[in-house]
Amino acid sequence: MKTIAVDIDDVLNDFSATLEKTTFPYEASYGLPQETFAHYLALVKGNAMEESEFLTTQFSDFRFRIHAQCYQLAAARPDGVSFMQWLRENGWRTVICTKRDLRLTGGSTKKWLADHHIPYDYLFMTPNKLVFCRQWQVPYLVDDDVFNILYSGQSGVQVYYPVMDKHAAIVTNIARGFRRFEEIQQWIQE
Amino acid sequence: MDTRVALLEMLYQHMRRDRLKLESRQFGFDFIEQLTADGAVLDYGQVDSHLVHKYRLLQLSEVAWDRFITGHVNQEYNICLYFDERENSAFCLNLDNNYKSSNTAPIPELDLAVLYLRQHFGEYGMEPLVLKSGRGYHLWCRLQAPAANAALYGFMVRIVAKTMASLHMSGHDYHAVKFNMGPNPRVIDTVSLRAFGSIHARTGMFSQVVTEGEMLGEQASWACLARYVEEKAISSQQFADACRIVKKEIPL
Repeated sequence: MKTIAVDIDDVLNDFSATLEKTTFPYEASYGLPQETFAHYLALVKGNAMEESEFLTTQFSDFRFRIHAQCYQLAAARPDGVSFMQWLRENGWRTVICTKRDLRLTGGSTKKWLADHHIPYDYLFMTPNKLVFCRQWQVPYLVDDDVFNILYSGQSGVQVYYPVMDKHAAIVTNIARGFRRFEEIQQWIQE
Repeated sequence: MDTRVALLEMLYQHMRRDRLKLESRQFGFDFIEQLTADGAVLDYGQVDSHLVHKYRLLQLSEVAWDRFITGHVNQEYNICLYFDERENSAFCLNLDNNYKSSNTAPIPELDLAVLYLRQHFGEYGMEPLVLKSGRGYHLWCRLQAPAANAALYGFMVRIVAKTMASLHMSGHDYHAVKFNMGPNPRVIDTVSLRAFGSIHARTGMFSQVVTEGEMLGEQASWACLARYVEEKAISSQQFADACRIVKKEIPL
């Protein structure tokens, strides 16, 4: 069966734009002084991390809470929705493949996909999508992650990525950038 | 019924039987077909950086539950269980090494935290069953009758607060230990815990019982579990008394 893996954030949705443009008002429920809240929010919006020797910190909890709000607020790309529907109609097996912590966001992720009429067969979380695709013999991956784009050729997985500013420095390799999902539709039928 | 299955059924008596997370090195779409053969539904899968796969399975039938718990005690895979949404007769403190680097390495704070927890539980006549698990320890307690999750969580929060204070007073940084508590009403349906009898997915080590003096082998751990479920269950009165006292000690 033809199988393809598709990421959500900044692929099927506009996660980064949502994070940038959304105003997150201070709330006591964050459990932080206002000053710390403002500092942490600036870090999260700038895609920066707080220096720490620990895995779980106040900042990591805060970052998760902001990201979780963006997961729900993010808009779906209409051409992405159409692409996923086209895959379903044409007998593709589709795997939503994300770095999100589905233990905590599985419910809201599934709701967002359903609300936007995005069909899929399986939902997977993994820190390394290329390894997942290789192991599970998934030949195609649609993803914005720079690492996955750079190692597309070596992994044997064909990566397609939505062209974004962060990809400007990428030297052409086997991965292919797209502006409209219709391009992928064409490529995977070649 | 396998004696080991019977013991797990006793320890986890009120935990959910309609869902679990299965942890395995097996993978593939055919494997998913096998997992869902009895009508179970794959909610989502996880693949960690060490290629350990986890599958959250919902809508388990009794047949599927029996199959998975039997597979677990036979070490075909691990199962991780979910707490009931309202009340439970077991609760667990899950302690992990919280350092970013070498977070599987032994750190003094973890062992000290276990020691202090034993002492604090002991103040209320309680004795936890301590298991080595992954990056740290699981401390299970079993009640003779189920208690409301809010009461269990409120009790655990205070015991953990006392333990963090003990770590601090002894000159250690309590941030080095990540304390998770189950059942936690906030993540009741999302966070699962490995069942007793698990094999560490990376090291192949059995999740041994840790007594105050030693770490037991596999057979001795099962024997210890048998004694624990028989003799150490906490009565409702004892738990109510402990909650009352600890609330006075630590009003939140």
